[in-house]
Amino acid sequence: MGHRGRDTGLPEEEKVTMDAAGQESFREFVAGRSSALLKTAVLLSGGDRHAAEDLLQNALIKAAGRWQRIDEPEAYVRQILYRQQVSRWRLKWRRRELTVAEPPESAGAADGVAGVELRLVMRGALARLTARQRTVLVLRYFEDLPEAEVARILGCSVGTVRSTTHRSLARLRALAPELGALGPAAVEQKPSADFSPVEVRP
Amino acid sequence: MNVDELVRDALREQADEQSPLASGFADRVLAVRRRRRNRTIAGAAAATAAVVAVAVGVPALSGGGEDVRPASEMNKSDIIAHPDQSPPKNMIAAGDTALAAFFVYDLVKQSNGDNIRTRTYGLLDQKTGKYRKVKWAFLDVAPGMRTAAVLEGELPAKRIGLLDMITGKVDRWIPVDHGVAFVEFSPDGQKLLATTYSKNPDRNFADHPQSVNGKEEPGPVASRTGFSVVDVDTGEEKWHKAPQWKDEWGFFYNSREDFQWSHDGETVWSDTGEEPFKEFYDLNGDKTGIPDSEKYVSYAKAGLSPNGKLIGGEFAGRGEEISSEIVDARTGERVTTVPGQQLLAWADDERVIAWGCDPKRCGGKGEFRNQLILLTIGSDKVVQLSDFRKASADYPGRWEPVFAERWS
Repeated sequence: MGHRGRDTGLPEEEKVTMDAAGQESFREFVAGRSSALLKTAVLLSGGDRHAAEDLLQNALIKAAGRWQRIDEPEAYVRQILYRQQVSRWRLKWRRRELTVAEPPESAGAADGVAGVELRLVMRGALARLTARQRTVLVLRYFEDLPEAEVARILGCSVGTVRSTTHRSLARLRALAPELGALGPAAVEQKPSADFSPVEVRP
Repeated sequence: MNVDELVRDALREQADEQSPLASGFADRVLAVRRRRRNRTIAGAAAATAAVVAVAVGVPALSGGGEDVRPASEMNKSDIIAHPDQSPPKNMIAAGDTALAAFFVYDLVKQSNGDNIRTRTYGLLDQKTGKYRKVKWAFLDVAPGMRTAAVLEGELPAKRIGLLDMITGKVDRWIPVDHGVAFVEFSPDGQKLLATTYSKNPDRNFADHPQSVNGKEEPGPVASRTGFSVVDVDTGEEKWHKAPQWKDEWGFFYNSREDFQWSHDGETVWSDTGEEPFKEFYDLNGDKTGIPDSEKYVSYAKAGLSPNGKLIGGEFAGRGEEISSEIVDARTGERVTTVPGQQLLAWADDERVIAWGCDPKRCGGKGEFRNQLILLTIGSDKVVQLSDFRKASADYPGRWEPVFAERWS
C-alpha cells in the first residue's frame, strides 16, 4: 500500500522545475487556449461549470509539471482532460460527474418539441451518462475525431469505442423517451461487435 | 434528424454558451500546484483533512445503472472486523486502512519441467463489499480503493490494466515497453512503480537446476532489468536500468527483487545482499543514499507510520512472549512493544495491523496459526480483525494480505 508523504526538508524552490520563461509561456498558453479547453471540460463534466474548472485546473497542473518538455501542449492537456475524466480511480471526479439534480423533464412528443427544447432534453440526458460514455460522445461528436483516434487517446480498442458509442446513444434514448422519434445514428444501424476490455469473471 | 446529429448540436450549443475563464487562471493553477506540492511532502495531517472535507459533501449517486456507491463508502465504521472469516469474505478495515485484497500462492508444475509460483487473488468488489476471486497474475490497489492496477497472463506483462473496482472491468490498458512483474501505486496514487524483468521472476527453470535437500529441482534465474515510473493519467512510462544485486560470483538471493516506493514517494528502493542491504534510486534513475527518514526502517512490512514518526519494527518477543517493537524513526530507538507477531500496516498514527497467534497456542507450530489483529500503541488492547489463517477449498493455501488506504 502507499504511505503518506512527509517533509523532506528541501526548500520548495528546488522542487519547482518551471523557470520564469516557462511560467511566462504557460501563462500565454492558458490565456490563449483556456476558453477552448474549458468548453471541452464543461461538456466532459456534463455541464457542471465548477467541476469543469477543477478538471481543467488539474490537467493544467499536470502539464505545468513538465511544461518545458512538452512539444504540443494543447494535445497533451486535452489527453489528460479526457483520461482524467474517464479514470474512475480518483474519488472526486467520479462523484462530481453524478451530481445531477433532476432527471431531464419530459417535454412531450418529439413532433411537438421545438429544436431548442430537444437540445435541452439531450443536454440533461448527456449529464446523466457515465463519464466514460459522455467522454466518448464528446470525442466523437464534438471533437469530430475518428474512432481510431478516440481509441488512441483513451487507451482502449476501436471496438470498445464503437460499443461504448452504441451503448451511450441507446442510453440517451432510454433516459429521454422524447428522443425516440429521432432517426437512428449510423453507429446504431449495424450490429456492433463488443471488444470490451478483459472482464474479471472467475 | 438523427440522434447523433442532435448530440452534436446539443454539445456545440452548450460549449458556445460558456463565458470565458476569469483572468489570472494560469496564476491560480500555478498557485494550487505549489500548494499541492507542499501538501504532498508535508505530513499527513493536511492531506487527511482535505480528504475528509471532500468526503463530507458527497451527494447520493444517481443516474446510470453502472453507478453504485462503493462499499467502502457505505460502511465507514472505524473498525470493520470479521473474526469468523478466514480467508476473509467481507471487507475488513481499521482506521484509514483496509484489506483491499489477499492472495494465496500455488506452485504450478509445467510440462517442460519448470514450475511457476502463481498467485490467486481475492479482490474487494466495491459493488458488494465482498472479496471476489480474480484471475490476475499480480495486482495492487490505489489509495481510495476505486482502482486496482492489474497484470495478466504469464509475467512479465506487456501492459498494465487499470481496473474499476466497482465494475470489475479494466477501464484502460497502459502499454509498457519493458515487461512488468510488479506494480505499486505511489503514495498519492498518481504514479505506478513497475519492476521490470526479462523473464518471469516467479518461474523456476528446469535448465537452471538448484539443489534442494540434495535433490535437483528447477531453479531461479535473475532477470530484473530495472524499474519504470508510469504516470497514471497520461500513461507515460520512464524506464531506468537497474539489474538486481549479485555478488562477485554471480550469486543472487531471489529471482524476484521488486522495487517499492519510499514513504514520501520521492525515491524507490529494493533489497540487496550487502550493507546497507537496501538500494535507493530517485525517480530519474540515479542512485541515492538511504533517506534519513528511512534509515531505521526494518524488514517488517508496516514501515513508517503515516506521520513518519514511528516505525513498525521486528519481532521482539523473548521466551514465550509474542511482541514486536515500535521504533522512533528519528533515533532508531525502541519506543515500546506491541503484542503482535508481524507488523503489517499502520491503521493510523497510533494503531497498527499485525498477524497475531492465539496466545494460548502460540508455541511451536501454533505460531503459524495466526489472524489479523489491530494493536494500539501504549495499550494491551487487541482487536481481532479476521479468523485464524487456514487453507480453504476456494483458496487452497495460506492467504497473504494486500492493504490499501481507505480514503483517497
